[in-house]
Order: sequence, then C-alpha cells, then structure tokens
Amino acid sequence: MLETTILASVPLGSMLFVLIAFLLLMWVLSKVAYGPLMNILDQRADKISSDLDGAETARQQAEELASKRQGELANARNEATKVVADAKASAQKQSDVLVSQASDRAQAINSQAEVEAQKLKDDAISSAKNDVAALSVAIASKLMQKELSLNDQQALIDAYISDLEKSE
Amino acid sequence: MDEPTATFEFIGLTFDWTTILSTLLASAIVVLVAWLLTRHLSVRPGKKQNAIEYLLDFTNNIVGGQLSKSQARTFGLYAFTLFFFIIVANEMGLLLQIKFGDVTYIKSPTADPVVTMTLAIMSLMVAHGTGVKELGFGGYIKNMLFKPYAWMLPLNIIEQLANFLTLSLRLFGNIFAGEMLLTLVANSLAWPGHFNGFWSVVALPIEMIWQGFSLFIGAIQAYVFVILTGVFIAQLSGDE
Repeated sequence: MLETTILASVPLGSMLFVLIAFLLLMWVLSKVAYGPLMNILDQRADKISSDLDGAETARQQAEELASKRQGELANARNEATKVVADAKASAQKQSDVLVSQASDRAQAINSQAEVEAQKLKDDAISSAKNDVAALSVAIASKLMQKELSLNDQQALIDAYISDLEKSE
Repeated sequence: MDEPTATFEFIGLTFDWTTILSTLLASAIVVLVAWLLTRHLSVRPGKKQNAIEYLLDFTNNIVGGQLSKSQARTFGLYAFTLFFFIIVANEMGLLLQIKFGDVTYIKSPTADPVVTMTLAIMSLMVAHGTGVKELGFGGYIKNMLFKPYAWMLPLNIIEQLANFLTLSLRLFGNIFAGEMLLTLVANSLAWPGHFNGFWSVVALPIEMIWQGFSLFIGAIQAYVFVILTGVFIAQLSGDE
C-alpha cells in the first residue's frame, strides 16, 4: 500500500514526458543544428589543413623557383660578360688586321710611286739630251741660214771644238 | 514544493501540466533559437553562426576535456542538447512565469525536482550504458564497485546513489531557490497591503540584482550538469 502511494505521488508520466521530449529535442537539434554545424566545422578543419598544406607546397615551389632564377641570373650575367669580352677581343683583332693591311697597302703604294718617279726622271733626262742635240742643230742651221745636215757638219763641229781646245 | 499543481491521469500514469508545458516551451525555445542561428551556414561564418558555433565549441570542449576523442564525438550531440536545454530551462523562469488561479503553468522546468531527476537518471543511464559497452558487464561492475579496493564496495554503492542525488538536486535546488526568492521579492514589491514607496525603492534593486545573479547561477548550473555527466561517463567507462 505504501509502495503504491509513493509511486502514485511520483508523476511517472511527467518523467516519461520529459524524457521523450528531451530525446525528441536531441533528434531535432541533430537535424537542425548539430549535424550541419559539425559538418561545417569538419569542412572548415579540412579546408584549413589543406590550405596550410597548399601554402607549404606553394612556399617550397616559390623558394625553388627563386633559387633557380638566381642561378639563371648569375648564368646570364656571366654569359653577358663573356659575350662582351669576346666582342671586345674580336673587335681588337679585326682592327689590328685592318691596320696592318692598310699599312702594307700604303707601303706598296709608296714603293710603286718611287719606282714610277725614277722612271719618269730617267725618261725626262734622256729625252732632254736628244732635244738639246736637235735644238743645237736647229739653232746652228738657223744661224747659218743654211740647211746643215748634222752628219755632214759633224767634222766641222768636231774641228771647231778641237780648235777651241787648242786656243786654250 | 507544496505549491498547488494541476495533474491528469493517462494510461495509469500521472502527468503534471506545469512540467509538460514548461518543458515543451523550453524545448520550443531551444529549437527556435537553434533554427534561427543556423539559417545560412557557410564555411566562413556570419554573426549568428559564430554564436551557435561558440556554444557548440563550448560543449564539445566540456566533453572533449574528459573523454577520449571518439567518445567525445559520440557524446557531442548529447552534451550540446543537454547544455542548451538546461540553460534555456534555467533562464526561462526568470523572464516568464505564467499563473492561472493558484497554479503556475509556465516556469523553469528545472525548478521542478521531477524534471531534474529525469535528466539525472537519463545522464546516469547514458554513463552506465557506456560503461557496460566499454568494459563488458563484469568489467563494468568491477570498475564501478570494486575499485580501487574490493573492501570499498559499500562506499562505492553510496557514491553511485549520491551521484544521482547530487546531480539532480544541485540543479533543482539552485534554480528553485533562485526563483522562489525572486517570487518573494516580487510579491513583496507588489503586495497590495504592504505597497509603499520606501519598500519599492529597496526591493526593486534587490530584485534586479537577484535576477542578474540567477542568470549567472543558471548558466553555471547548466555547465556543471554537463561537466558532471562527462565525469560520470569517464568514470564508469574506466578512464579517470
């Protein structure tokens, strides 16, 4: 009898109701809030970790690229220096060649001119001798109003010349 | 506790209108708030999402601090619902109490020992069930009653009973006392016979201070209930 009164005084129905209400609430919350939220949280965690990984690889790539570029830059600088030095050397060589060629040529021109000048001089002297002889004859014939042949008068000329030599 | 109540019988069980209506209202508020705060979920959270994520993080941390990672994941929803429901239930009565005649139909459901005992029984059942699942029945009995020494059996039995009483009555006592004092002060404030300017001036700040304090107590008690649930689950499944 005591047992039944205690049981009756405990509102078992209320307890059952609270329990069922709570379980229902849990189910509704799992659908409305907990499930979607945990989903989002997991997504975010995944995204953060994948972003971090991505950032790490991107950083490594950037570093690799930078060192590669550095090497390439140094290479290019060396190459440029070499190209400039080569160009300078080849220009020097070419100019040397040109200068020596030019001086050779000048030498040749000079010597040829000398030879030609000598020849002209010789020609002039010989032609002048002939002219003097011819002119002497012409002047003499003009002076004597008479046509004198050089060969005919050769003996006379020689006689005059030897006379002159004697009177001395 | 000897307030007048309105009850009805259904299939041989006693139902209390106050409990039913208050529990329903608290649940409805929880669902409404959760629904409003989770409208547009995205990986980049907005203000509302931040608020409910903070709450979820809070309860996840409570269970995460005491349980293993997989267990914490299992009980995340339970802790979240428990905390959310209890905190809304605790604060509800501070804002709203509805009385028809002598019967208060709407108040904090947790100011009713029947509700807190139900919640405590439920939490302990979860904890004991987890213990059996983790350790097997023999291991669970041994872990619960014969640890650390076999001669501690009587103490351990008392401890298990005390667990139930402290878990349920702490919550009930705090909330009930808070609301009762609030009602007393409010009644004296508006007591027709005693109404005078001086008493109102004294009582109004007291009422406000006590309301603020009760809000604080309500939050603390919800936290304590969830943390103790976690402790019991951890204890009964053998990892302390």
